[in-house]
Amino acid sequence: MIGNLPFVVCMILVALGLWTLVVKRNLVKLVIGVGLIESGVNLFLVALGYVQGGIPPIYTYAPADAPMVLPTPQALTLTSIVIGVATTALMLAFAVVIYRHKGTLDARKIRELRG
Amino acid sequence: MEETIKIFTGHGHWSPLIWVAAALGTFSVALLLWLLGRREHKRGTDQEIPFLSGERMEEPRVSALHLYWGFAEALKPILTRLKTWHSGVVNDYAGWFLLILAVVFLLVIV
Amino acid sequence: MSVHAPILVIAIPLLGGFAVPILARIHRTVRDLWVVLIACVVAAGVGYVAAQVFSQGIWVYVLGAKTPQETRVSAGFPIRIMLTVDAMSAFMGLIAGILALAAFPFAVRFIPEEEGKTLALALGLLLLAGIAGMAYTGDLFNFFVFLEVTSIAACGLIGFRTWTSRAPEAAFKTMLLYSVSGLLFLLGIAFLYGEYGALNLAYISAQLRGSMVDRIALALFLSGLLMKVAAAPVHFWAPDAYGEAPAAKTLLLVVNTQVSLYGLWRILFTLYGGKLDAGVGWLVISMGLLTMAVAALMAIGQTDLGRLVAYGAVSQIGYMLLGVGVGLVSLTSRADYGLVAMKGGIFHMLNDALTVGLLFLCVGAVEWVKGTRDLRELGGLGHQLPAVALCFLLASLALAGIPPLNGFASKIMIYEGSFRLSPILTALAVLASILLLAVFARAFQGVFLGPRTEITGRIHWVFLFSMGVLAVGIMVLGLVPGFFVEQVVAPAAEALWRGRALYLAAILGG
Repeated sequence: MIGNLPFVVCMILVALGLWTLVVKRNLVKLVIGVGLIESGVNLFLVALGYVQGGIPPIYTYAPADAPMVLPTPQALTLTSIVIGVATTALMLAFAVVIYRHKGTLDARKIRELRG
Repeated sequence: MEETIKIFTGHGHWSPLIWVAAALGTFSVALLLWLLGRREHKRGTDQEIPFLSGERMEEPRVSALHLYWGFAEALKPILTRLKTWHSGVVNDYAGWFLLILAVVFLLVIV
Repeated sequence: MSVHAPILVIAIPLLGGFAVPILARIHRTVRDLWVVLIACVVAAGVGYVAAQVFSQGIWVYVLGAKTPQETRVSAGFPIRIMLTVDAMSAFMGLIAGILALAAFPFAVRFIPEEEGKTLALALGLLLLAGIAGMAYTGDLFNFFVFLEVTSIAACGLIGFRTWTSRAPEAAFKTMLLYSVSGLLFLLGIAFLYGEYGALNLAYISAQLRGSMVDRIALALFLSGLLMKVAAAPVHFWAPDAYGEAPAAKTLLLVVNTQVSLYGLWRILFTLYGGKLDAGVGWLVISMGLLTMAVAALMAIGQTDLGRLVAYGAVSQIGYMLLGVGVGLVSLTSRADYGLVAMKGGIFHMLNDALTVGLLFLCVGAVEWVKGTRDLRELGGLGHQLPAVALCFLLASLALAGIPPLNGFASKIMIYEGSFRLSPILTALAVLASILLLAVFARAFQGVFLGPRTEITGRIHWVFLFSMGVLAVGIMVLGLVPGFFVEQVVAPAAEALWRGRALYLAAILGG
């Protein structure tokens, strides 16, 4: 059970992020909510690749038969982080533009597109 | 030749050729009626203005929202409900997404 | 060269897109010609790939090796990224190619220089690269990366008119929902990776046991992709986005939605093929019905022409969900009506791309000459723009499914297939079509008929060329549907219906 703790923490992070998207009204906080989900997913990926007592997956200077953690999830996480930076930056940029136009970041007031 | 045109739907088949013939027939009837009309109306006079119960309007135009007015009016109760759903508040959209997520999870896992 | 066609179709628009700002420094005409050239090359590329795949079966392109067998590690799974192009992928690629051919020449003329034309064209090419990647890849993580590429490029296109207050709002909402759906998709991939230790779609599919972890992953994939295809009730971003993006670029957003739909089919039929219970099929069907009903009704209440057409576009997604959903329900029993409905649903993807694309181009032309899209102000444009009026009429009738146009050809197959499952489905689908006919009849009457009004701009011949490409497509598909159904749509439907074993064998051997 204790071995599953990292996975549980990741799922809690994702759930908190989803909750943020529903209850928080500030656009920047919504972006933070997406960031929470992203951190949860990234942590989940890294936690998946962990091997008990494993060393970093670098062959140079590695002991002959030491267990290594899986390298693929780390590569995936790195890609996912890069993508996350791009999406977060884009969303924040849109939030800034919206703020300039409407003078508010309150999601309840940013509803020109409805119906 | 037949196979390149027809669609087989399991029950039977459907061929657009009949419909092309029907469309051409309707079009020729319409053209005939149009050709039978009178042509000697004078441009730039009152003869060009549409007749609206003898009233003169500034801009006699039927906009898209006038057409099928009764149809849209009859559907108004449903439309108002649907429009409140599309509220424009992004939190509501996220809420709908959570609902779908819950439904899908219930359906797939249980 | 030709053996590398699948990767070139992805690489050329990707690198070409980044070259656009550099070429704009040299000369604007060079940049415009370059963009059109890239669109033509991509269209030719997807055409070539499709011809090869339809004649010789699945085309596996391995990055960094010659055959899939060479990449097998001792544990038995392939370790390289692979592009796996089967008939369905090739069909999706064809749709993207045709719309690129219409969208880019139009965009070159349509987007004004001072409105950031260079960047808009570059983003369009990136979006095209992402779409081609999603259609061709055979690797789950690769699919996610291309999904995010399309999300970012699409939202850039939606919101790049930052001086209006509506466009950034639409872009923010769309981006938020896109990133959540993308992240849930990634979480699903992580679950599958944790269980099987691989990312190759075919390998995972062969190993899939249907355990609890697999089911959780399926739920995550399904909810993420249903959002991206704009199925009601999570479709709210779609009309906002389609309505606010520049008309020339909305075509690519439509293809983006369809390629997500393709991803959904790939997950449901190939990855989880044969391991689903009918409940998922019924979920797809019911969301399809809800989508067409809600969107058709909402279209009635619109006063903005672009938003009206956007709702029309969303409603068509419902027909595809219905057609393929019927196939999904009858997948285990292999009832023949399921295949008919699936052919209809897949054929409708092509038809919808053409008709909705043409409608959006007409909206763009109207906006170009009048400077507004408000239905209360538009009127009498048929006098000055007879060709645009004709195209709008043609596309509206095709969208509403009036014979002998292409929309009817695919809808009759959906109707007949779904009728055998339950007549209620067909009744609702026909009802939504009637509603759409009313909506588009009134839009056509209001915008193009009536006394002449003042116009401020003139139509360029390139606009008419782009519209002509799509209009000819609509008529040809409508007049000889049998040919296309047999040659193009049937292989694509079969690839999902029965082709899972072939797909797995192409990569895993034997």
